[in-house]
Parts: sequence; structure tokens; C-alpha cells
Amino acid sequence: MSTLQVAARGSVATAQPRRNPFGRDWKLGYALSLPVFFVVIGLVAYPLAYSFWLSLQDVKVGAPGTFVGFANYYKVLFDSEARIHDAFWSSAWITLLYVGGACLGKLIIGMVSALILNAEIKARHFWRSLLFLPWSIPALVTAYTWKWMYNDVNGVYNAALTGIGLIDAPILFLAKPEYALWSILFAVIWQGTPFWTMTFLAGLQAIPGELYEAAEIDGATTFKSFVYITLPSIMSVVVVTVMLSTIWTTNSIQFIYILTNGGPGGATETFPLLAISQGLRSYDLGIGSTIPLLFFPFFAFMIYVVTKRMLKTGE
Amino acid sequence: MAVVQHSSPSGIASAPLLGWFAKKNRGYLTAGYIILFLMGAWTAFPFYWQLATSFRSDADLYTPVVALIPRAITFEHYYNVLFGARSQFGVQFVNSLIVALATTFIAIFLGAMGGYALTRLNFFGRAEMARLLVYAYLAPGTILFIPLYVMMNNFGLRDSLMGLVLAHLTFSVPFSTWMLMGYFKTLPVELEEAALVDGASRWTALWRIVLPLAAPAVVVCAVFAFTLSWNEFLYALVLVQAKDKMTAPIGLTSYVVGDQFYWGQMMAAATLVSVPPLALYLFGQRWVIQGWTAGAVKS
Repeated sequence: MSTLQVAARGSVATAQPRRNPFGRDWKLGYALSLPVFFVVIGLVAYPLAYSFWLSLQDVKVGAPGTFVGFANYYKVLFDSEARIHDAFWSSAWITLLYVGGACLGKLIIGMVSALILNAEIKARHFWRSLLFLPWSIPALVTAYTWKWMYNDVNGVYNAALTGIGLIDAPILFLAKPEYALWSILFAVIWQGTPFWTMTFLAGLQAIPGELYEAAEIDGATTFKSFVYITLPSIMSVVVVTVMLSTIWTTNSIQFIYILTNGGPGGATETFPLLAISQGLRSYDLGIGSTIPLLFFPFFAFMIYVVTKRMLKTGE
Repeated sequence: MAVVQHSSPSGIASAPLLGWFAKKNRGYLTAGYIILFLMGAWTAFPFYWQLATSFRSDADLYTPVVALIPRAITFEHYYNVLFGARSQFGVQFVNSLIVALATTFIAIFLGAMGGYALTRLNFFGRAEMARLLVYAYLAPGTILFIPLYVMMNNFGLRDSLMGLVLAHLTFSVPFSTWMLMGYFKTLPVELEEAALVDGASRWTALWRIVLPLAAPAVVVCAVFAFTLSWNEFLYALVLVQAKDKMTAPIGLTSYVVGDQFYWGQMMAAATLVSVPPLALYLFGQRWVIQGWTAGAVKS
């Protein structure tokens, strides 16, 4: 924490004695924050509650619903007769593989990039700009580029692999169930790593250099410095990054939607895609709302952890 | 606070943060450069391929022998995308601009007011509101898209740019407010106090003193809000079906007709779609990288 922030901490408001139970500046305070509050309540909290209400109904697009209690939840989770039951559990498993794989890849590549970008390399600015580039381009744009590169007839990967004689027949990167998820993961990791690199880099730069100097004087090896200084110092950044990226990766469906649209044969159908196909294509809003809500506890946990850290260090 | 620390350019050079890749360790440094070069190539190649494809003629594209370098450069795909008789690209590009600019403007305006209130004013429930903001910012779109779809349907806002702007406010307003709050906290209170003593109102102090001081944060915030809105996919996919109301990224789907992909045109359109966020990113890069970490993860 810098001295600048400490000085700024005592705000105008808290310096005054409190007389009004709503606080000294309550009129202006509420007036200024009310619009933000309306957005948060009207466009986030209300839809969330409404989603729960929809999940308790048997409701189709364009028709009034009937209240069915937790029947949708039962059907999705436990009713092995229902087609949606199998689809849900398969999508839950694929979601786990997809998010876990993507995060692991981004963690490793992001950490290595951050460590290198943090060292005294030449043209640091250039390398940083280059490695951060995928973040600024719309993911949809790059999803199409990857689809084109994965193409089996004249895609560049197949052309290159055939060209150097590694394969005889083109690989169906996206059309074979056993390759499809991997192909998507490559693209997702490519697109999502910059965020990890960026936050890790910030975490690394916040470590005071004196710590390393002191360790060096005490005869610590590079490896020991990494384990005892670097890792503990950036641990909280790593935790927050993992949580945030898990939330965002689960939500970013562009690559799956464009590359395979859940196929082949549901091999890449994560739960958001299942919710889209149930809710908006099969017009079953009740089931469509139930599916994402079943993941709500996981999101809530991660949001809770992130929020706690953000508020603690943000004050 | 990340913003304050990173503003010193000497901070990096003076601290050998990891000996593995520090100068004295020649072997590790060489390994570092090799890895860096490989990662640079892996990052850059898709961009190159997108660009190269957009300049190839169809004859060059659809041959089984794929050349790394285009045999000849043609602008026909760009011409078709921009001026083709049935191309909706221009309309969709303008839609994207309208949505992203409106989202950015509203988010900054509300965020500045709310952020100021939450950092500087004393009123009941402000800590709870600050917490609510973070929850809202992280609220997953995959849970919100069905209720938002139904709500927009009921309000007659499906297939409208306004519905899309409203949906984009779900993430941009909490984000902007939170980020501006973080920056307002780092500003010294004395300047405002002086203005207030001189008879300025709180309102004047916000717009005349605090916001100009927070200009760097406002720029970063605007870059983010614009980029997030421009790149947004799920709401745009779900809420808009009419081709003339689509945003430009979603409009890329028009270059797929049945199982026929018009790769040349698509890559040309994709390149054009990438220009605004890329320009903003290159322009605001230094602040953006600092602001990103300050806004998302505070260390």
C-alpha cells in the first residue's frame, strides 16, 4: 500500500460526526447511486429471481406457465427416463472437462509468459503488446478464424501436417468426437491466456525487489526464491484469477458455438449450449432456466471468494 | 494500489524479480527467449492467417495446396463486404457502434455518479451497495440470458438495439462503477474540500474537480466498456435475430450459407470488425494493462 492511498483513506464523509441515521449525505448519496442501483436490481437481481421463478414452472415460449414446484429439477437431476437427464449429466461432465482443461492450460502458459515478460528481456513492450493481442479481438472473430484453420479440406493445419508428411488423410479436428473438445480447448486457451498473463505480471511486479536481494545475500537459490518468495506473494492473485476465469470461461461459449455448436453428437455440449437448445430452440423455458441455475451454487461460491478478496484489498 | 505502483517505469528494471530469467543467468535467459519466440508465433499466426485469407482470391483459397503466403493480393472480398449489393455489413457495423457507444456513455455517466457517492459520501447502506456491485459484475450471463430474453420479449425490445444496450448495462455499469470507485479512492480529498469551502456544490466538485483528475481511469473504463460491448456474444445472439439489427460480430454468421462458407469475405469482415477494439487497445494499451489489473484483481 502506498502512502498516497493511506492519505486518501480518511474521506470527507467519515471525518464528520454522524447525526442523521441515514448518514450525513444521504440525500445526494442516494440520488447519485440510485441509477446504478436500479440497473443492478432491475437488470441483474430481478432476472436472477425471475429465472428461479421460471424454473419452478412448466412454461413454453409464448404460453402461460403452470407452477410445478421442483419437478423440473427432479426431472433434470434424477429422472433417468427423461432425455434431458442424460443430456444434463453429459453436459455437466463436459463443462467440467472444458473449464478445467482451459484453466489449467491458461494457468501454465500464463505463468510462464508472465515470468518471462517480467524479466529483463529486450523489446519488452513489443512482446507484451503481442502476447496480449488475442484479448482485444472479439472472440467470435477468432473463433471463425480457428474454424477456418481447422478445416479438413484446405485448412492450414491439415495442409501443414500433410505437407511435412506426418499424416496421409486430413484430421477431422472438429467432426470427430474424440478430437473436438481438444480442438476447442486449444483455441480457448489461445484466446484466454492474455488475461492470466496480465494479472500474473501485475502480481509479480508488486513483489518488492528487496525480498529477492535479501534472499540472495542469505544464499538462496533461484529455485528457493521462487518457491518461498514468488509463489506465496502471488498466491492471492492466482486464486482470484482462477475464480474469475472459471466464471468467464464457463460463460464464454463463442468458441464452442462456432466451432462445433455442441457436436459432434453432443461431445462438446457444455451446459450453456444445452440451456440455449432447451430454452430457445425447444421453447422450454422452465427446463432452460433450471439447467444454468443448477450451476448457481458453484458460481455463488466463486463470486463469494472473489468478492471477499476484492473488497478486502479494495478498501 | 497497482495503478500507483506501476506508474514508475523503473520499478521493473531495478528489481530482478525472478532469477531464472534474469540477465546473469545466460542459460535460462536463452531458454526464455526461445519460449517467448514460440509463444509469439503461436499468438500471431491466427492473426496472420485471418489477414492473409482476406486478401486471397477464391481461386487461391479453394485449392488443395495451401500456400503460406498469398499468391496474389486482391481486395475483392473487402469490396464485396463493404459495397456488395446484399451485404448488411455496413448496417451491422453501425449497429455495433451505436450499441457500444451508448453502453459506454451510460456506464461511465452512471458509474461516475455512483462511484463518487460510494467513495465520498456518507449514507446508510453504501458498503452493502458496493458489495452488490461486485456480485452483479460477476453474475454469469449464462444464468441471465433466458430471463432477459423473456423480459425483452414482454417489453417488445427483442430485435432492437435498445434491448441490447440494456442487456450490456448488466455488466458494464457495475464494472465502471467499481473501477471508478477504486480510482476515486486514490485521489486526495483536499482538492474537493478546497472547492467545497469555496462554495462549490458536491455536484460541481464531482464534474469539475474529481472527474478531470480521474481522466486516465475514465479513459480506461471507456475502452473496457466499449470493448466488452463490441465483443459481446451471448446476449447479441439470443436477443437479436433480424439481420439488420445484428451487431457486426454476430453478422459474421451471414457468410455461412447452408454448409457453404465464404471464407474470404468472412475473414475480410472479421478483420474490419476487429479494427475498433484493436485501435482502442493500441491507443490505450499502457493504461489498459494497468487498469485491467487494478479493476479486476487488486494486489
